[in-house]
Amino acid sequence: MIDKIKGRVWKFGDNVDTDVIYPGKYLPIIDAEEMAKHALEGMDKDFPKRIKKGDIIVAGRNFGCGSSREQAATCLKFAGISCVIAKSFSRIFFRNAINQGLALVQSSDLLENVKEGDEITIDFSSNQIVTKNKSFPFPALDAFVMGILEDGGLIEHTKKILRKSK
Amino acid sequence: MDSRSLVIRSIMLLLRQKNKKMKTPKKKELLRLQRQYKTDKRIGEALGGIPEHLVAYWRRKKGVGEYAFPKYSREKIVDLWERYADDTKAGKELGVSRAAFYKWRRKYNIREKPKFLKLEQLELGLPLALLKRRSIGLQTIAQKILARKVGRSEVKVGEIVNVEPNLAMSHDNAGLVIKQFKSLGVDKVWNADRIVIPLDHRAPAESEKTADAHHSIRVFVKEQGIEKFYDIREGVCHQIIIEKGLVLPGELAVGTDSHTTSYGCIGALSTGIGATEMAVVWATGKIWLRVPESIKMTLEGELQTGVYAKDVILYIIGKLTVEGANYKAVEFYGAGVEDMSISERFTLCNLSMEMGAKFAVVPFDRVAKRYLNSVTQKSFQPVFADKDAIYENEYRFDLYRIEPQVACPHNVDNVSPISKIKGIKVDQVVLGSCTNGRLDDLEIAAKILKKRKVHPDVRMLVIPASKDIYLKAMARGLLKTFIDAGCVILNPGCGPCLGAHQGILGKGERCIATTNRNFKGRMGSVESEVYLSSPATATASAIRGEIADPREFL
Repeated sequence: MIDKIKGRVWKFGDNVDTDVIYPGKYLPIIDAEEMAKHALEGMDKDFPKRIKKGDIIVAGRNFGCGSSREQAATCLKFAGISCVIAKSFSRIFFRNAINQGLALVQSSDLLENVKEGDEITIDFSSNQIVTKNKSFPFPALDAFVMGILEDGGLIEHTKKILRKSK
Repeated sequence: MDSRSLVIRSIMLLLRQKNKKMKTPKKKELLRLQRQYKTDKRIGEALGGIPEHLVAYWRRKKGVGEYAFPKYSREKIVDLWERYADDTKAGKELGVSRAAFYKWRRKYNIREKPKFLKLEQLELGLPLALLKRRSIGLQTIAQKILARKVGRSEVKVGEIVNVEPNLAMSHDNAGLVIKQFKSLGVDKVWNADRIVIPLDHRAPAESEKTADAHHSIRVFVKEQGIEKFYDIREGVCHQIIIEKGLVLPGELAVGTDSHTTSYGCIGALSTGIGATEMAVVWATGKIWLRVPESIKMTLEGELQTGVYAKDVILYIIGKLTVEGANYKAVEFYGAGVEDMSISERFTLCNLSMEMGAKFAVVPFDRVAKRYLNSVTQKSFQPVFADKDAIYENEYRFDLYRIEPQVACPHNVDNVSPISKIKGIKVDQVVLGSCTNGRLDDLEIAAKILKKRKVHPDVRMLVIPASKDIYLKAMARGLLKTFIDAGCVILNPGCGPCLGAHQGILGKGERCIATTNRNFKGRMGSVESEVYLSSPATATASAIRGEIADPREFL
């Protein structure tokens, strides 16, 4: 059971697309650790070096729009991002992140109320994001989707199901 | 007076009294009665037993002619309309003019064209009953196809269903899918016949890493007996699938490419998924999908010269924004879509992804049927939305008002009409991709380029979307036109669309492309710019060396 995530905030705007998160030229890479070296490179070349383990991305609308490349979710996870909070997510990115075991939270008010570098806590048991002086409720994920996330991604989730059916 | 004459007299009296009560009706009233009851006899009956000859007498007195029965019954007109759906042809059958048949049709208030001609219904095994059945219920196409997949009569919006797709497509990223598949510990794929793998994104391999990935895919398909593997010689994955008839109306397809929505052009439901999900589909044959809300788009009117399906969908995305259809299914209706070819519908469904659409469908019709007849002999069962299907939103667009559109950097909804942005200098022009690399696209470009030259400061790259298109373009002499004009022709594939190879942009360079994305750094340097347009606009811009209005060349 995922309980609490605590981390530093990185802020981004609307429509952060997959080509910015993971440029197309790196698609042939299949090693996740290597993918992580190029996370958000389209925005800032040194970004992966500045991420600390457990950091949280807070973004605007339509995060992850564009390509179906799941490397966009994988690279963030392996770069150390623990959760992405956005006003809304693009459909395929949402699926990919859940399938990779990267937690997603939808919140429409947080972005304007945090500063980059702030420390925040996401409490999944009460569905609240807690900042220095305020807390923001967020809608719970669908139980089925949460199940995949808790198993650590779709591969582990499917393995569990396959084991059961045997 | 004897009793007999008394009886006659009293009857006469009675009749006279009755007739006296019933004064001769006014002309207007007579006409109304005639419209309602038609014959004199029935008018008499309706008035309470007035003899037929008296009604006839009234008519003569008021100058109302005898009721003329229409020459053709409603049934006859409906029958002909359903057989031909064309005033000229149906008129010929009756021996009347096109205008006369139209009048008859309007008289019986028959306005809508039948979805299928009677003969086609027989051919397709679509009895009238099936077509009528679709008018009961409230389900959209997405709901009905997903319901069919789970073996139920309906599914609710928002529900999560676990379904088995008819087709699972992966391209070069099959390398990553294979890696994930192997980690699941499953030996054999669920159904080798339903897996399609074309290599197109980096074809031929541009790097050692890609070469290794391609190699691992070639080994895997042999091991698993996947026959629908198309090596680098074939072309863009989505184009191959539609060209070879690998997906059919009413079917569900998933692909590890966002533009998988394209197969809606023939009435199928299709969407993009990630590589890990595909690995699970390969292993289990199942995928979870949320039943989406649907949006109805009605496109009315005709396109003006120099304006194409690409301009239409860019215009729509400009209005709805890049997340205007996020998580939703889009259905296209209206005369504007019915007139479009499969290639144009392909462009619509393909780019619908850029407003976030999960599915995009043009309902199956005669155009799709004719197309499929030419590529496959397999039978299929198309799915239509219920007449009262519930849509979250409905939009109407008048195609006649749309002028050529261009999506400016760095978002696809940053759309401008050509008149506002012409004159911007370009360094590269790309004609191709799954969005606009088909024969009609190449033909438009060749028509504009004939006897003209690409601007000396511009590189124009032409990429036919498939081997088939390449060969046809060669046979029609289009390739010669391109080469004469100064274009560079690349092999079928995705080319520079995703910035992998073959035409990467350097710092500060600008490109106008017929592709589908203009994100920052999409085609190379993060300091380069990509503009999106129709093939005609891109070609006109190549000639001028700056973004130009194609209507000045047509």
